[in-house]
Amino acid sequence: MIIRTATTMPTGITTIMTDATTLARLMTWLSPAFPVGAFAYSHGLERAIHDGLIADRASLVAWLDALLEGGSGWNDAVLLAEAWRSASAGAGLVAVAELAIAMAGSRERHMETTLQGGAFVDAMTAWGGGEPASGEGLMPYSVAVGAAAARHAIRLEDALVAYLHAFASNLVQASVRLVPLGQRDGVGALAALEPVVLRVARKAAASTLDDLGSCTLVADIMAMNHETQYSRVFRS
Amino acid sequence: MDVGIAAVQEGGPARMQRASGRAGVSFRTDGGTTRLERLFQEGCAKIRLPRAIDGNVPQAILINTAGGLTGGDRFAVEVDLAPGASACITTQACERIYRSTGDDAVVSNHLRLAAGARLAWLPQETILFDGGRLTRRLEADLAGDAEFVAVEAVLFGRMAMGETLRSGRLADRWRVRRDGRLLFADDLRFEGDIAAQLAPQAVMGGRQAMATVLFAGSAPERFLEAARQIIGPAGGASAWNGKFLARLVEETGFALRRRLEPLLTLLTGGRALPKVWQL
Repeated sequence: MIIRTATTMPTGITTIMTDATTLARLMTWLSPAFPVGAFAYSHGLERAIHDGLIADRASLVAWLDALLEGGSGWNDAVLLAEAWRSASAGAGLVAVAELAIAMAGSRERHMETTLQGGAFVDAMTAWGGGEPASGEGLMPYSVAVGAAAARHAIRLEDALVAYLHAFASNLVQASVRLVPLGQRDGVGALAALEPVVLRVARKAAASTLDDLGSCTLVADIMAMNHETQYSRVFRS
Repeated sequence: MDVGIAAVQEGGPARMQRASGRAGVSFRTDGGTTRLERLFQEGCAKIRLPRAIDGNVPQAILINTAGGLTGGDRFAVEVDLAPGASACITTQACERIYRSTGDDAVVSNHLRLAAGARLAWLPQETILFDGGRLTRRLEADLAGDAEFVAVEAVLFGRMAMGETLRSGRLADRWRVRRDGRLLFADDLRFEGDIAAQLAPQAVMGGRQAMATVLFAGSAPERFLEAARQIIGPAGGASAWNGKFLARLVEETGFALRRRLEPLLTLLTGGRALPKVWQL
């Protein structure tokens, strides 16, 4: 097994993280079983499916590809990277948390990121906790995951792959329930998105806040219009 | 007009002429009436102040005498509203972003609203030509209970000419703070083959006109029902944490205007919009 080099923790403690430990922790924290309630959020996909914009595997892959390459998925990745750097440097998370919250593009998107972020911080007490809170006590999900990864000396790119994979996987699962798509289509969508997740994670690992940028207007509109959807399974 | 001196650098390409403009305007109140306090204009930036019609909010009309922006051009506007002042800022024409040979045109707008001030920031549409490159920043600092309405509408290409954007860049950054804390942040970004980027359903489904509309002030939820009626199938609206946000996408600039005019009238409290906004 490859032992990665020692990394200085924000607390000043030096720990050696093995690849296996990193893998186990990321799998746990970004697992659908981790108690952040990810399954309750469709990120506007429930509305897009209702409106017929996502109707099969191909349209689902195209939608998620757009979110990851140049939408809320990309912005979350850039914010996660900033939180990771801040936490690694022992700096506060107030500024990045405030930015992430201000960027949530609708009432339900705001709820989606802050409720999952808060639940993530709570659940992390099982690993000793100590996640710093943001100014108002609200913690966006991407920032919470980035800070936790830094505190556990997990490489940024690994954390990004896990986060973006969970983002895509959660939305594929939501779509399998709603479209309806077969499990084969769901797995096929995840396979098609794998290179996208890896590419976006690599790019985001080298990003700064100047790289924030989204063009997925219709996806953002769907997240807004989910608020008025008559019959709904998801909270966003 | 302030134009840089064209010079041929030894061993290099001819430097293009660059336009630059800076303008500032501030308003104060005088016995409940808003009055002009200070006006500053330099280079290709001009400000015209139409005589306020009784009972109407004072207007300032921004003019770019260069007639558009191209790579390397700079345009900066500052607006200051004293406590209780009320104003509406618009532009004389759509802002045309012409083909650039490399650099971005850079536009910076900085708005400061003291407590009790009300500002409507209603520039006309930005038209991105094929090869046009624009970096724009909108910074707004609101104090106390200041109320702010803003729109940025973008048309991708000259539709009348059936123009397709094969290259270009649009990076539009909004940062709105209230009492120093970030209230709203947005980064819109298109780069490269713009037509291909507009095509995906999650982006704009190939449509070429879009707008972002923000209201920051008290009880933003009160606008939701009427705003959704106006926007219809062309977009969406949401209200939370002291702000109202709408996004619209349309096939044409005209279709977009037909929805923006009533929406902006709603958000500015039914006051008459500047003439340039009236269809």
